[in-house]
Amino acid sequence: MNFRTFAAFVGPSVFMMLLFIAYPLISVFMQSFYITQPIYETVEIETCTPGFLTQTCITEQVSQPKLDEHGEIITQTEYVGLQSYRNVLEPERAWRAISNGEWNVLSTINFWKALRFTLTFTLITLPLVIGCGLGISVLINNAARAIRGPVIFVSLLPFIITPVIGVLSINWLFRGDGILTAMLETWLNRDIALFAQAWTIEILMMVYRVWHVAPFAAIVFYAGLQTVNQDSLESAVIDGATRWQRMKYIVIPHLMPLIIFVSMIHLMDSYRVFEEIVGFSSQGYVISLQWLTYDFLVPDQAGNRSISRASASAMLTMIGVVILLIFPLRRTWRDHKGGH
Amino acid sequence: MKLKSLFMAGAMSLAAGGAWADCAFENDVPLKSLSAGFEAWKAVTDAMAECGNFSASLDQEFREKQPEAFAADPALYQIGGVSNATLVPLLNAGTIRPVDDLVEKYGQNLLPNQLIKVDGKTMAIAMMVNAQHLMYRSDVLADLGIEEPKSYDDVLAAAAKIKEAGVMEYPIGATFKTGWNLGQEFVNMYLGEGGEFFGEGNMPTINNDQGVAALEMMKAMTEYMDPEYLVSDSTYVQQQFQQGKIAMANLWASRAAAMNDEAESQVVGKVTMAAAPMGSVAPATTVWWDGVVFATNMSDEEADAAFRVALEGMDEDMVRANNDAAVWLSPAYSAGELAAGAAASAEAGAKAYPASGPMGIMHTALGNGLADYLTGAKDAQTTLADIEADYTTAAKEAGLISN
Amino acid sequence: MSSRALRQPLSLRLTSNIFLAFWCIVAVFPILWITVMSFKSPVDAFDSNALNVIFGPATLAKGQGISILDIIAGIAIFWGTILVSTKTLPSMVRSYTKPGQAWFGWVIGVLVVIVGFLLVFFVILPAVLGVLNPIFGPLGKDVLGLTTEHYKTVWIDRGFSDNFQNSLIVTTGVVTLSLTVGTLAGYGLARSGSTLAFWILIVALIFRALPPSVLVSGYLPVFISSAEWLAPILGENAPTLYGKPFAVIAVLVAINQPFTIWMLRSFFQNIPSELDEAARVDGCSHFQAFRRVIMPVMWPGVITTGLFSFLLAYNDFLVTSLLLDAQNQTMVPAIVGMFNRETTTTDQVVAVAAAVSITAPLIFLVLIFQRQIVSGLTAGAVKG
Repeated sequence: MNFRTFAAFVGPSVFMMLLFIAYPLISVFMQSFYITQPIYETVEIETCTPGFLTQTCITEQVSQPKLDEHGEIITQTEYVGLQSYRNVLEPERAWRAISNGEWNVLSTINFWKALRFTLTFTLITLPLVIGCGLGISVLINNAARAIRGPVIFVSLLPFIITPVIGVLSINWLFRGDGILTAMLETWLNRDIALFAQAWTIEILMMVYRVWHVAPFAAIVFYAGLQTVNQDSLESAVIDGATRWQRMKYIVIPHLMPLIIFVSMIHLMDSYRVFEEIVGFSSQGYVISLQWLTYDFLVPDQAGNRSISRASASAMLTMIGVVILLIFPLRRTWRDHKGGH
Repeated sequence: MKLKSLFMAGAMSLAAGGAWADCAFENDVPLKSLSAGFEAWKAVTDAMAECGNFSASLDQEFREKQPEAFAADPALYQIGGVSNATLVPLLNAGTIRPVDDLVEKYGQNLLPNQLIKVDGKTMAIAMMVNAQHLMYRSDVLADLGIEEPKSYDDVLAAAAKIKEAGVMEYPIGATFKTGWNLGQEFVNMYLGEGGEFFGEGNMPTINNDQGVAALEMMKAMTEYMDPEYLVSDSTYVQQQFQQGKIAMANLWASRAAAMNDEAESQVVGKVTMAAAPMGSVAPATTVWWDGVVFATNMSDEEADAAFRVALEGMDEDMVRANNDAAVWLSPAYSAGELAAGAAASAEAGAKAYPASGPMGIMHTALGNGLADYLTGAKDAQTTLADIEADYTTAAKEAGLISN
Repeated sequence: MSSRALRQPLSLRLTSNIFLAFWCIVAVFPILWITVMSFKSPVDAFDSNALNVIFGPATLAKGQGISILDIIAGIAIFWGTILVSTKTLPSMVRSYTKPGQAWFGWVIGVLVVIVGFLLVFFVILPAVLGVLNPIFGPLGKDVLGLTTEHYKTVWIDRGFSDNFQNSLIVTTGVVTLSLTVGTLAGYGLARSGSTLAFWILIVALIFRALPPSVLVSGYLPVFISSAEWLAPILGENAPTLYGKPFAVIAVLVAINQPFTIWMLRSFFQNIPSELDEAARVDGCSHFQAFRRVIMPVMWPGVITTGLFSFLLAYNDFLVTSLLLDAQNQTMVPAIVGMFNRETTTTDQVVAVAAAVSITAPLIFLVLIFQRQIVSGLTAGAVKG
């Protein structure tokens, strides 16, 4: 395929990605080195607001942005180098905490707190998703043909359900006197508050994520199981291999590309964990990297947002993802070169 | 039969779409509004729609969209719904217009109390006020012979008694959800203690005795609260009340009506509205208002129509029809027992929420930083110092503090 | 497990099936539960006792309930629908359509099934049971509290059908555009061994890993002021992109592109390149070979990828909530709005009913396309 044909085929797709992903990404990258802010002046203003029955007026000094002759806010943009990154990472405080060995202090600094949780979340759910996915796919494959269809259907439900709704439904089951908490309470005969400490919330979030993603893994693996070579399985039986050995030496290697595929998708998705934080409103206890970026980005009531810090933290998140992805990507490179 | 009711509903909605049913004039200028989505806004925008040619966006992302949409030329929305805090960015950017001339022309029925004046110019028309105030179960407190709590110390003492008597395990409810709600609770407490948020040049000044006192009171309250307090928002507290799980809470006036809703409340008529508990200096609450603003970037003709439509939206018919949905600023509003709490708080000297650019940043920093103290990860001074540092970083980035 | 050598002992099969049953319960329980909640009065729905939620005494006390007869009839109709959509529908589609136009048959078939189900379940069934219940005595007496009023509130009073329509527009647009652009690119990437192709894939993968909230908030100011900056190019007719479904479709397609091209590329790699080479020898251009020879064997892959695009567009919250205004709001932001509003408990149950409503089409979709998804994946979509 010559370059011209290739360009014609991939052109539209590449154009859309450049316009809607690459271009904003570059502007985010640039913004992380600059700070743009309005120029404020201090003026004395009388403001009257309604009380319950009568108005209250107060006169006070307020900071107000200057407007130009068109009525637009005058802003100034300044190159600040790595200042925004320093503001996010807070290296002095982090270093002081590390050198004093005070890990609990380190875990109160937002970025490190978020990084800690994001990594724990990603690395704990990864084996669980792969394990549960494998387990379920083997179970489905084991079941009688007649019930496989319905079982696959039921298994797919957690995967297709709208994430926002999924999180909320889990929330109702457990929050306050949700019925599952109530059941646990009668069973263990003690008072349980699952949303009152960090570790239970973390467990709930991981449970939700595994529930949500394992079906995807299971279906992919199930599809893979259909193409396992039956002859080699049978000859393994004749050679006296146990079930476990057959699994380990024939099935798993056969599924290996799929396992890597699912791991890669899962690494990317769980590294940007976000819905769980909002859905379980866990900000008081645990936060994630994407939540941190989002929090910088969302304007407060007075309209202030920290675009520069948001950009910096987005860039840091991206660097993290790239590091996580390097290992599976080396394989793709070999495949790509070997495949042609 | 079901099919029939379906058709009926369809016909009804067609009739309602037939416009200017109860509107004093027929509007022929296309108008749009953007506001928050709570019940009062629904009532007001529905009433505006009666004039025709009007569509309302009740949007939970309005905070993010409003400054941009009003800065566009022509503005994407002619009418905006704001509160005292969300007015600030529009005011700063100069994207809302003074309406003194229109008030003079059409606003004969407006109360002087409704006109929001900045530097002598009317920038917004308020429609309702809201404030957190004490609600308590009069039956429970009366059974145990407890007087109406006047201060937070009284609240704690009452909670201790209720718990001791075994009536309830967690007698206090509060909107301590991390983020805006938790920040708001601190603002209430801190103002009640008589604290000031900012000093010269917008520098933060919360790390002081009043700040520590406010924090300690919040922590003392958590002893008597459901341990999941960091996820409890107003709706959750309201439900706890309705299900009879709590006896006292400092809750929004706009929630009062839900206590007597037969369909979902088990405590109808048992909840009394009282003034917000006193701090050392003032009631521990803040007064908020909601109202409408009008875009700068529209023609005078549109502004004229927009103003008239907006006034129709908060006319006396609407207020009478939705009397309990809010504490309305209108001569038609009959302040029943449900509004008694808000009134009493105001009488005791409750302050308006000190909305400003720096306050927006401070509120966010408080909302995110306070949980560390309540969970015991930090002590009071460290928490306040960290919040101040957090505020300073953000305020420098916003240009509010010079480097 | 056709072979005798691989047959398993009974104990193993039993344990295996027990675990499978356990998993199925875990998988459906939350969804089943919100469905149950959505049919109860607020007091029942948020009761901490599970039995009260199921039987709904407070709902029953208000005179809203169903009898054993109703339950049996309801289950029968559900079961019938499942049978029709999994067995009858595929064979009907196959026999009534020409091979090239199967998709059209599917669209019609799916619509007929959905409309038929709604008609039978909500119109015919209540009418028939209204007559039968009094006749059957104890079997016809209300035993289970159940009310459909929340659904009525959602769909009729709150105008949820508008949101449904908007969701339909956005999802259809996203699936069509994303597959058109994606298959072309996937094919190009699969058939080119150049280093450029590799780097496009890698960069796409990194794009896939980006936190979307960063990109999305950057769009808002540009979209809102688009009439101003597009005016020099388009003159008077320059549109405001904010609030326009087509703009949101473009954004969602772009965000979804990395995943789509990776997935479709793997599909194309599994189709032997000898196939298009043969077509080329016969005098076809690359595009003709792609259209006439490759696409016909690609359907399982396209359906599977299409389903993923559908899920992304249908479930999206971040993009749609920010870039659409209330007039064009899709379902997910509308529901989140319902929860975030200053709500009463009744409002919350109404929101739960809305949540169940938006899950129902997804369930139908999986019911119908399940076979294609599995065979699509088995065909080797995912080689990593």
